[in-house]
Amino acid sequence: MDAHPDAPPVVVTDTVKNAIRIIALDQRARDNGVRLNQSLSDARALVPDLDCHPADDARNKALLLKIAGWCERYTPLVALDAAPEAERNHGLFMDITGCAHLLGGEAGLISDLEVRLRAQGFHARLCLADTPGAAWAMARYGQARIIAEGAHAEAILPLSLSGLRLPPAMVASLGRVGLKTIGCIAGLPRAPLAARFGARLMQRLDQALGGETEAISPIMPVAELSTERRFAEPLTHQDEISHVTAALAEGIIEPLERRGLGLRHGRLKLFRVDGHVSELDVQTARPLRDAKLIRRLFAERIAGLHDDLDAGFGFDLIRLDVAHADPFDAAQAEMMAGHSADQGHDALVDRLGARLGLERVQRFVLADTHIPERSFGRQPVAHLGVNGSAKQAAGNAALALPPETEHPGGIITRPLILFDRPELMQTIAEVPDGPPLKFRWRGVAYEVAGSEGPERIACEWWRDGRGARTRDYFRVEDRQGYRFWMFRHGLYGRETSDPAWYMHGLFA
Amino acid sequence: MSLSRLQTATDILEARTRVYEAQAYKAHRGMALGSEERSSPLTLGASAVDHCLEGGLACGGLHELRSPLARDIGAATGFALGLAARAMAADRGGRGIVWVTDPATRVDGGGLFPAGLGQYGLDPSCLTMVEPGDLQGAMWAADEAAGCTGLAALIFQIKGNPARFDMTATRRLMLRARQSGVLALTLRQSGEEEASAAATRWRVNTEMSGADDDLERGVGAMRLSLTLERNRAGRTGQWLLAWNPKDRSFDHAAPNPHARANPPAHSLDRLPVSADRRNPSGKMGQVLDHRQDFGRAS
Repeated sequence: MDAHPDAPPVVVTDTVKNAIRIIALDQRARDNGVRLNQSLSDARALVPDLDCHPADDARNKALLLKIAGWCERYTPLVALDAAPEAERNHGLFMDITGCAHLLGGEAGLISDLEVRLRAQGFHARLCLADTPGAAWAMARYGQARIIAEGAHAEAILPLSLSGLRLPPAMVASLGRVGLKTIGCIAGLPRAPLAARFGARLMQRLDQALGGETEAISPIMPVAELSTERRFAEPLTHQDEISHVTAALAEGIIEPLERRGLGLRHGRLKLFRVDGHVSELDVQTARPLRDAKLIRRLFAERIAGLHDDLDAGFGFDLIRLDVAHADPFDAAQAEMMAGHSADQGHDALVDRLGARLGLERVQRFVLADTHIPERSFGRQPVAHLGVNGSAKQAAGNAALALPPETEHPGGIITRPLILFDRPELMQTIAEVPDGPPLKFRWRGVAYEVAGSEGPERIACEWWRDGRGARTRDYFRVEDRQGYRFWMFRHGLYGRETSDPAWYMHGLFA
Repeated sequence: MSLSRLQTATDILEARTRVYEAQAYKAHRGMALGSEERSSPLTLGASAVDHCLEGGLACGGLHELRSPLARDIGAATGFALGLAARAMAADRGGRGIVWVTDPATRVDGGGLFPAGLGQYGLDPSCLTMVEPGDLQGAMWAADEAAGCTGLAALIFQIKGNPARFDMTATRRLMLRARQSGVLALTLRQSGEEEASAAATRWRVNTEMSGADDDLERGVGAMRLSLTLERNRAGRTGQWLLAWNPKDRSFDHAAPNPHARANPPAHSLDRLPVSADRRNPSGKMGQVLDHRQDFGRAS
């Protein structure tokens, strides 16, 4: 990182074999005679005002991931350097196949990348080569930044063996037998080398030279489609962002149509000038292929953020990714054309979800249990799937009216309002299993005028374990007409000698 | 300014006016077409109430239901669901009910129990529950839902009389519901009377259920004491209704002769428990606590 000219030299320290040693240092520290692997006390003796920081792998990783996220402005295929030997090699791989022409060729891309990283305060060593292995070696041990197509083997042969991403112990033992450069082993017979140093050596050599293909694993899943706009002058106003989103949405409609797909999950990436990347996600209940609706969903999403979207010095790249798309049924769309699609139920659910958060727009799902509070749950509508609503409806219809809901006589046995937690009451009731006569709930005394019950609901021993108590539910009406659903917790004399009473619901 | 330039300006003005008029006419026509299909009023099923409402509740419009006490919410919810179920059954092209709740209503800890929806003939999956994090979000969600033609009914549950949900907010809801033809209901839990743009305002009290012949001392079907406190289009009134789960309609009910025959020994004043009501009016005959020391108060 760049620092003020007067700032003291910066080093990063870590404990290596019970000694605090320097594992990274900046140019000023180097100029003052500090070396790598020097113990901190020696370095302090050289430079008393050394600014030293203990290594923090977690934060390094987090920062690297952020940089990787930012690098997606060049290509969707950005991977962390995941070689086990390279734990402290904070490197990134980018596969720029087919992307370089967007920035004026390979030279243009690499200089743009370097300038932008430097503007953010990072010094990066960059190299572009045919294979990840060769690029890795050249970035660390070579001089050239762009290796012409097919010239990578030639370029890396004079480099040190460390450039092959080998464990340090292996490099040391190879060095002891006089093999110091990649060129030394490239010409040797393979079998004896593999037998002596393991197959890993040959694999790494082949990966660097291109004999074996090496795939990098991108951090983020690659979007099915994406469109982007770059700006010479960064955007800061919400209206401008909204306009750009509209234009981007227009841009993905045609490719979606060509593929017969509709958007289910869209992601808007806003690349800020200083390297920060904001991501906004919207999900839809059914495949969507209407630019106006997509723009509106993102507008709701941005509005829902209030002021959390910090434009800072502005966004210079905005990209719209189709993270997930599903087949779009044109016939279905035509059928829906009777209603204005804009105002349909699904569009409403999408808009609400985009603004308020998906988890706040829910539908009931029913479970097969008699314990009232477990018999239902709420699921975000967006997670119920495209045909989930229909399927769910069929499933629910079977469960909607469990046999106990309605008596043959048409008497309602389940309340309309259920309390999240049953509320403890003071009650006067007949023992052993009579209905309550008087009770006090939320500080108000009630006298019972009529009651029905008990309806016994046994505990689920397979869930609650031994000793869980049976509930006897009563429907109770007081003298003013309030109807309650309450239960006695535990069978008198068998499960407890002093059963507690709980209020659990209200009837209409 | 020369005469010709003035002439041009007038021409432009005229042309603009014509465009605006055309737009307004189009908007009006579109509105009329939209509401025409769904303009038939929603009947309750109880003849006297429907007669008083001159046919029924205006479907595209806002109606306010309030329950004076926190524990009356059961009755008010029942009434709201009954209306929504009838709106669904009337099949006006709406495919569901959206239920928006203000988070303040969750403080009392009650939530809708899907197993209880059976008596209204409602499938739990036709309900979309929206629970925003604050009242502002809830009002926005209600606005959006009221403007959605794909809905049969919107139920917006709020607690008390929050200052933010004012005349402007209710008028907006009313207008959007009128355009879309959605039956919009605000369910005001322990709320006071308040000026609003709603077409009608109902007070819902629970009423003692009728004696059930099959069950001695049993609990019968829901009964509501409904008071139409305000009706923009006509008269007001008070009725005793019962929900009929078989026909899914409201019926007139006879009062229970035993109801309140012997009032509870230690009766309590029915104090409304509203969250943040403004300027609560004192009740007639209520004993107020006057301050004795006016002189010393600073």
